[in-house]
Formats: sequence, C-alpha cells, structure tokens
Amino acid sequence: MASAPSLADSLNPAASPDTVSRAELSEIDASTKAPALFFLISSVLWLLVGTGLALISSFKMHNPEFLGNCEWLTFGRARTAHLNSVIFGWSANAAFMVAFWLMARLSRSVLRHPALLFIAGAAWNVGVTVGIFGILRGDSTSIEWLEMPAYATPLLFVAYALVGAWAVITFRFGKSQHIYVSQWYILAALFWFPWLYSIAQMMLIFEPARGTVQALVNWWFAHNVLGLWFTPLGLAAIYYFLPKVLGKPIHSYYLSVLGFWSLAIFYNWAGVHHLIGGPVPVWVQSAGIAASFMMVIPVVVVAINHHLTMVGSFGVLKSSPTLRFIVFGAVSYTITSLQGSSMSIRSWNELTHFTHYTVGHAHLGMYAFFSMVMFGAIYYILPRLLLKEWPSARLISTHFWTAAIGILIYFGALSIGGIEQGAAMNDVENYPAFLSIVELTKKYLLVRSYAGILMTVGHIAFAINVTWMLLQPRVAGATAPTLFRNPTAMEVAR
Amino acid sequence: MDWFFYAIALPFSLLFLASAVYALYWASRNGQLKEFEKGSASIFDDEEPVGQPTDFFPGQQPPPPAVERR
Repeated sequence: MASAPSLADSLNPAASPDTVSRAELSEIDASTKAPALFFLISSVLWLLVGTGLALISSFKMHNPEFLGNCEWLTFGRARTAHLNSVIFGWSANAAFMVAFWLMARLSRSVLRHPALLFIAGAAWNVGVTVGIFGILRGDSTSIEWLEMPAYATPLLFVAYALVGAWAVITFRFGKSQHIYVSQWYILAALFWFPWLYSIAQMMLIFEPARGTVQALVNWWFAHNVLGLWFTPLGLAAIYYFLPKVLGKPIHSYYLSVLGFWSLAIFYNWAGVHHLIGGPVPVWVQSAGIAASFMMVIPVVVVAINHHLTMVGSFGVLKSSPTLRFIVFGAVSYTITSLQGSSMSIRSWNELTHFTHYTVGHAHLGMYAFFSMVMFGAIYYILPRLLLKEWPSARLISTHFWTAAIGILIYFGALSIGGIEQGAAMNDVENYPAFLSIVELTKKYLLVRSYAGILMTVGHIAFAINVTWMLLQPRVAGATAPTLFRNPTAMEVAR
Repeated sequence: MDWFFYAIALPFSLLFLASAVYALYWASRNGQLKEFEKGSASIFDDEEPVGQPTDFFPGQQPPPPAVERR
C-alpha cells in the first residue's frame, strides 16, 4: 500500500493523481475497514432504537393508554423520534458506509484520509443522539423531517460537508477511466443533500420564511431527502450489486445514464404534490403534479434495465442473500415510485391525503426499497471487510422472510385501511363523527403492529448475526465461499 | 427573509444549475457518454471476471470459477 498522503497534498490542485496506483479490490476493501465498521455498527444500533420507537408509536395508535403516563414517550415524541432515528440514524449511517465503500471500489483507489470519515461519523452520530434526545425531551421544532432542535443540526451539517469533501478527493484521485453509473448517483447525492439541508435549515429554522412559503420549502426539502439523497444512493447500490453478484454486466448502460439524468432533472420539482389542495398557488401544484408524472421516465427506465439484467438469472436468488434483498428493493422502488406518481393525481389525492395510505407508501419507499437494499449491501460488504463468512445462513433467511412478509402485510393493511379511511372522511352523511372513522381504522392499525413485530424479529436476527460475526474468531485455513480464496491470503499488511 | 433568498439562495441555485449543466458537458466531452459496453463492464476485472457470481449463502458450495470452465 502506498504511503498515506497528507490532506494538504490531496487538496492541492497541483498534486498529480498520476502518482496514485490502481489498487486491487481486496486492498481497497481493507483500507475502508475501520471507518466502514464504525458507520455500520452505528447504523445497526440506530436500527434497533428506531424499531423500538416504531413499535411504541404503533401500539399507541390502537391502544392510547400504552405508556400514556410517560411524558417522554407521548405519541408526538415517540413517533418523531422513530422517524429521525431510522432516517438520520439507521438509513443515513448505512448510506454513508455503502457510499464510501462503493466510491473507493469504483474509483479503484485505496481510501485516503480515513480521519476525515471518522470525524464525520463521530459528529454525525453525536448530532443525531443530541437531536433525538432533544425530541424526546420536548424540544422538537414541529417541522416535518426537520424536527431536530437547532442545537443538534450544525453538527450534522459539518459531518456531511466532510463526507462530501472526502468523496470529491477520492473521485479526483480515482484510477478508473470510466465513471460507473453508481458513481454519478453517489456524487450527485453528496452534492444535493448539503444544499437541501442548509437551505431548509436557513429558511425554516434560523431565519424562517413567512406564510405558505414555509410549507413549500418544507416539502421541497422533505421530498427531496427521499428523492435526491436516499433514492440515488439506493439506486447506486442496486446498479453495482445486481450485476456484480450475477457476474453479468447491466443490460443497457445507455438506459442507466438516461435514468440518472432524467432523475436529476425532474425529481426536484415533485415535492409540491404534498400540498395539493393546500393554500399554495395552483400553478405550483400543477407543476409538481407534472414533475411527479415525468418521474415515470427514470423509474420505468431503471425497472426495465434491472429486469432485463435479471432475466435468465432468477435462480441465483436462491443462492445469494445479497441478491434477494437487492431485487426485493429494486422491485419495491418501481412500485413505490409509480404509486407516488399516481398519488399526485388530484382526484386520487383527495381520497388518500391525510390517511394511513400515505404512511404505507412512505414505508414502502424507505423500508421495502431503501432499507432492503442497504441490508443486501451490508450482507455483501461485511464479509469482505472482516474476511469472515456470515456465521448463520438461517439467521439471514429469517431476516429476509420476516422483513419481506412484514413490510408486505404492513403496506397491504395500511393501503386498504387508508382507502377506507379516506372514503369515510369524504362521506359526511354516513360518518358525521370523526371518532367513528378512527374506530374504523383500528383493525388495520392492529395488523400494522403485528407486521411491525415480525419486522422486529428480522432486525434482531440481523443484529445477532452482525454481532456474532464481529466477535467470532477466524478459523485458520478456512475458505469463505463468498470470497473464493483463503482469507489469510487476502489479508493486506497495513 | 427576502435578503436571504436574493443574496444566497438564488445565486446558489443558479450555481447549482450551472454545475449540473457543466457536469453533463464535461461527461460528454470526456467520452463518458460513449462506448456503453465498456462502461457497463468496468466493474469487472481479472480478479472478478464477467461470468463469475460473487455472493452465496454461507456454507453453500460455489460453482467452479469461470476461468476453469473455459
């Protein structure tokens, strides 16, 4: 391994990338080990915290007395803390890890400046911890997706800027002549998020805009966190792992480039569809609806591309844990995106807005698509970091089936319940009392809690497998099937 | 609030738009939008060639590597 370059060298525009040599994959993986493990362990811990808060909030929906005396866990706080811990704790940590692991691999260069990533990781996790503590304490800002109090958020921004700077340096010293489509997505996501986050913080928290502009900025931000941060990172992972696991190049590289650029052009406009029927100029709403439908282009392009890559290789789903999760995520991406476009139709929105249908849709996006892709990526990455095999195939299967069946039940129950709820809310003749509608939804909420318990079982299986893998000693001379070689031969002297 | 929009948000969004346009221009000039087959194969190399699946459940026997099959 080349001697570590100083940060000043990497930032100096005169420094020549030619001095960097093209590295072996195993060497690159070894160089990412320490920061990647840090982010990965943080993400798994946040997943467990977020799952616990999710169950508490879910139980409260059909059983309001549950923990009703505990001020810190009233519904408004527990639900908000759930959202923030799964988004900024679990999803963001996992996304960072996958993003820089992929970035190093695709740039074909060993990880430079791990210290930058460690500082970023520490700042991020301290920021999220302080933020969630603040929410539970009652300091929530009450602005959706930006609930963390103002004393926590600057830390997140610093962390973010460091990861972004790191990615640009890695990209600059990359040794691959070609920019793979995943790199486009990762670089774009790392550029977009600080922009979204800083503008939203400025215009909503530090120097709030007046009136309905607040609502516009809020949904511009909240929707773009999904579309311009989690979606590109999820797609980056799919575009790498799907062909890599199959050992087969992506069906049409042309389509993947088209998909990236159309996402970049259209997604940013779509957030307004959250305000259909609200006190926002109608032309703005119409523009949002049009953009939501333009999103059909990148979504269908990506779906066709992934499907045609899979054709003829569906048998591999049986033998590869990563592929199972990734394919489940890719299919969910198509469904959730098309569903999202349909939900922006005014007449359909009239029925589904303010109902559990929207909650089902949100979980289909963040769980069935994004989280499943991250699980798949972790099942691929961790053996290559530790040079060990996953200790239990049964726990992996348990994780997959509980998560997959759990989220499908969750989505089904809330979608049907949400439509029934929306129809009842629009029907004043038969449902004059709001409480009767609440009673109506109770059975669906109960099913949601059961689905939640099932998913929790999966998360615990996952956490056990990760912990077991971290702690188990490596057997000398053992070969790991996912690695093809003897792990000791792959170890890189550092 | 207006000052923030005109002094920071608007110039920055224009800068962002310009950087996106530049990225597309650069990609096209750099040849990133040509030779798509080569691009899609860039994630494979001699170590992990095309035709070799790279992920299995623990304990499952992997099929013989593609090199030996030839």
